[in-house]
Amino acid sequence: MEKRRSAVLFLSVALIPAAQACTPAIEGPRLESKSYVLAYRAAPEVGKHFSVEVAACAKNGPAPKALKIDAHMPEHRHGMNYKPTVKPAGPGRWQAEGLMFHMPGKWEFVFFVEGERMTRELVVFSDEEKARILSHGPWPPPSRQDPSNRVSGKREAIALGERLFFEPRLSGTGSVLCASCHVPFRQFQDARARAFGLEDVDRNTPSLMNVGLYRWYGWDGAQDNLWAQSIRPLLDPREMRASASHIGKFIRNVAGNDYELAFGRKPPADDQEILVDVGKALAAYQETLVSGRTPFDDFRDGRATDYPIAAQRGLGIFVGKGNCSICHFGPQFTNGEFADTGVSFFAGKGRIDPGRHGGIKKLKASPYNLLGRFNDDATRGNATGTRHVDLQHRNFGEFRVPGLRNVARTAPYMHNGSIATLREVVQHYSDLNEDRLHFDGEKILRKLNLTAGEIDDLVAFLESLSEP
Amino acid sequence: MRVIALPFLFFVGAANSQQLPIFDAHLHYSHDAWELVPVPQAIEILRKAGLKRALISSSGDEGQQRLYAAAPDLVIPELRPYRNRSEVGTWFRDSSVIPYLESRLSKYVYAGIGEFHLYGADADLPVPRAMVGLAKKYNLFLHAHSDIDAVERLFAQWPQARILWAHSGFDSPERVAQMLRKHKNLWADLAFRTDHGSGGKVDPAWRKVFMEFPDRFMVGTDSYTPERWHYIGEHANWSRAWLADLPRDVAERIAWKNGEALFSSFQSR
Repeated sequence: MEKRRSAVLFLSVALIPAAQACTPAIEGPRLESKSYVLAYRAAPEVGKHFSVEVAACAKNGPAPKALKIDAHMPEHRHGMNYKPTVKPAGPGRWQAEGLMFHMPGKWEFVFFVEGERMTRELVVFSDEEKARILSHGPWPPPSRQDPSNRVSGKREAIALGERLFFEPRLSGTGSVLCASCHVPFRQFQDARARAFGLEDVDRNTPSLMNVGLYRWYGWDGAQDNLWAQSIRPLLDPREMRASASHIGKFIRNVAGNDYELAFGRKPPADDQEILVDVGKALAAYQETLVSGRTPFDDFRDGRATDYPIAAQRGLGIFVGKGNCSICHFGPQFTNGEFADTGVSFFAGKGRIDPGRHGGIKKLKASPYNLLGRFNDDATRGNATGTRHVDLQHRNFGEFRVPGLRNVARTAPYMHNGSIATLREVVQHYSDLNEDRLHFDGEKILRKLNLTAGEIDDLVAFLESLSEP
Repeated sequence: MRVIALPFLFFVGAANSQQLPIFDAHLHYSHDAWELVPVPQAIEILRKAGLKRALISSSGDEGQQRLYAAAPDLVIPELRPYRNRSEVGTWFRDSSVIPYLESRLSKYVYAGIGEFHLYGADADLPVPRAMVGLAKKYNLFLHAHSDIDAVERLFAQWPQARILWAHSGFDSPERVAQMLRKHKNLWADLAFRTDHGSGGKVDPAWRKVFMEFPDRFMVGTDSYTPERWHYIGEHANWSRAWLADLPRDVAERIAWKNGEALFSSFQSR
């Protein structure tokens, strides 16, 4: 019985003649009513009069002749202070003059074409918000080479690095490769809460996308360069459990020719030198992992006509009341530094992960830091941060502010993978337990108290930071 | 009861006897720590860190009482006017705080009231005034996380008050020195600041202040989250490192002797 009803309904729907679509004469956000399709172009700025170019066509029948346009702020329950005039600009085209949005926020255009109402919500950003939005570009970033790595950007080194990245024999057991945790089809992470190489690790595997642009490496910033960061898991007994002698032997016996192509010399006798060069080849490869453009990038650059309104509202929160862009700053959406965001940093019963505090101590002690002999930049001009970084009490429990590009594809989240979804991350900041933050500490982090709709919007924005 | 076992206590616990003992004047053992860092583990952490004694408060108040019961030789309890940490910014307008303090003071012994957060003119509101009255009645220290203005107002209310200035007000060494010169009953803890002794070296401006007032400073960890209990040992060692850059007698006073002297009346109860 139920099936028959469905079938009848389907037939009756199918028999209704579909209104034919038509194409308005200009490119721009597109709206539809029962009889018409409309497109418009406008570049409203807060506090400035602007015009709107409109084109409309009829799905069936003659071209429309009458257009009215208005705008209002639904949440404020008021409209504009000015009444626009509409002048014909050809068949099915108009130019509306004299509009002005006198405050930033959510506005709604209202168009009447031959009496049929069409609306389009839009978010009008203040100049300050616009500046913040523009600071999240350009993307992709200009390519750059790492002066600490003499083979950065060198084709042969990239090829060697890629080979080594997928080489299980680099590990002490011959069973684990870089790509075991940094899985290419998972944005070079592993989708696990905490990593597992040869044993469980306390931290979440970060994505390697855009890793060539970082200032500090690891959740604790224990490395100041990508080649040192690439060496670390090779030697960690929980991850790849190799040694310098193991790596040296592998390169000399198995990859000597590729090494020579990359470094212009035969593998040296010094295992430590080979280990560092392996790190540099791996780094050269990882520097090529750059994420693509996103819907947000198109919107920021004025190229998008269909950027979701929810994402626009979320962007408003991100650069506005959420203050997210203070830490998630710039084209990569990170200031490259560290923060305590109120996430527990117990690593197990009676164990804590000291985060940045431990990272700074490791950094200072590392033979592979930029102050050391393996930095290929003789000027050490790239070691300023390492030279001056200051160990402070607040560093205890701070973790690296991650970039947000492709963030929708890199769940779970936080240094320990303790938050499963983007929505829960946003909820975490909405409900932030300020008691966990020092009273005289970071003042940016405050409980956001977002509504369910605002959480939806912020999630929609974060999703727009991922490649389609 | 008079505590007479100080020479013995010097060597108590797992601390290396060569280490400089530490009197940690700024610890909290609040509600969220009780399960994650149980009392035996908390006491073990304090002893392993080589603490001679620790001034501990908690939100709510049961925390440091549990620690005090387990290790009266080690723990000096102080009473916070908070039942939980979320009251940090509201307590001074909450009249229910006073009966809470009164009920605790009638049941337990404390060395002071604090650490409390209080700024500017809020110090003259009725609740802080009543709190100061209780401190006077019970002869207790005030452990004030305050700016200079609030400290001045507290002294105006009770000129004989003894105030331990939390974090040295996060103020500059010059202004801290001015306050210490002005108020003979003002002491300062150095919790959660690194500007005075980063990298094992004492800052020159702070050195002057330490040398002028060697008997007025104390160190403190500020365990404001459960995780920070695992920082107490790290902090003690960090303190020993910068204290080693001072003359030994000054270092010993700041490390532990000032705390011992300041709270001797509590220990002799």
